[in-house]
Amino acid sequence: MSSLEQRLHALGRELAFPPEPDLDATAPAARPFPWRWVALAAAVVALVAAFAVPSARTSILRFFHIQGATVERVETLPPAQERSDAGGLGQRVSQREVERRLGFRLLLPRLDAEPTVYVLDGVLATVLLRVDGRPVLLSEYGAKDYALLRKSVGDKTLVEPVRVAGRPGLWIEGPPHTLSYFNSRGEFRQKTVKIHGNVLLWTRGQVTVRLEGRVSKAQALRLARQIR
Amino acid sequence: MVDRPLDEAELVERARRGDLEAWETLVRTYQGIAFRTAYLLAGNAADAEEAAQDGFVKAQRALGRFRRGAALKPWLLRIVANEARNRRRSAGRRERLALRAGAEIRSGDAVPSPEAALLAREDQERLLAAVERLPHNHRDAIACRYFLELSEEETAAALGVRRGTVKSRLARALAHLREHLEDEA
Repeated sequence: MSSLEQRLHALGRELAFPPEPDLDATAPAARPFPWRWVALAAAVVALVAAFAVPSARTSILRFFHIQGATVERVETLPPAQERSDAGGLGQRVSQREVERRLGFRLLLPRLDAEPTVYVLDGVLATVLLRVDGRPVLLSEYGAKDYALLRKSVGDKTLVEPVRVAGRPGLWIEGPPHTLSYFNSRGEFRQKTVKIHGNVLLWTRGQVTVRLEGRVSKAQALRLARQIR
Repeated sequence: MVDRPLDEAELVERARRGDLEAWETLVRTYQGIAFRTAYLLAGNAADAEEAAQDGFVKAQRALGRFRRGAALKPWLLRIVANEARNRRRSAGRRERLALRAGAEIRSGDAVPSPEAALLAREDQERLLAAVERLPHNHRDAIACRYFLELSEEETAAALGVRRGTVKSRLARALAHLREHLEDEA
């Protein structure tokens, strides 16, 4: 081996590689079929039917689903109220406390300081971030909590399947859409809020992650790749 | 009696029959080299992670077509590297390679003087810059063969070319590097 080749070998050992990710590299079809979740989904649909108010009933034109979130395209959006800023995000608690309550480590981008974290109904953790100076909400919940987000979008809203670091996700862009959810006891939360920003939804392991803000798809995907 | 660890052929055979634990063991074995290969070819960490992730998923689906008795590593690297090259073509952006901050002194190395360490570091940075200036197919050959220490066969698999092509690209790349470095000296 020439001295140049030896120097190249030595150089390779000094290169700064990014941290090795922990890959979830099993084909979805190879996993056991999630009968438990099918049963849960059936229960959820029954709950929705039981709690639906007549004015909110509308034809569902199409479903999109990833792990703990369902997006439905409807003819008419259900009645919804504006979300108050911090009040609508739940109780402010420390990161350690919210991780204890939700039972998983929060997925976050690299931050300079301890983040301000809110938790809603013991299910949904939310952190306020900034992307290129714009506020963005990062929300997370674990599938084991039986939590489920339901988003309703109208025909003018774009819903596009995307991949985030190899994992399936959905990009929702356009006019306001609505959001309702189920809590950790499987109870339907009647309060439906109007969401004005664009939303990126994806999963990482058992956690469903959601970014919401007035940001472009490229900005959201860039931020999402930093969240780990 | 102590169970002996399964060898790779047995793990592959089990994974072909749908044993997820066996497949995950293989993924853990090769995810490091697969990610680093994807990083050098795709040029950024996010695309590399996606390429490695999607590559392993495709490999698992294609296990039925994997030739029994063949080496698994080049086969996996070929699939992951193909994903990485596709992402490089679509993204068109690449992070510059960099040296680790504060290079470690390995056990057994003589402790260099500060001046010698600085000169060695400058020498490595000059060599890295020369590699970065190579045409991308020469650069990729150097990266796989020397930076990742892949064999010629594995390098050929990662680059999707024949071994002879790897040899000729390496020879031309080394000649270019020598010229660059002599011009600078």
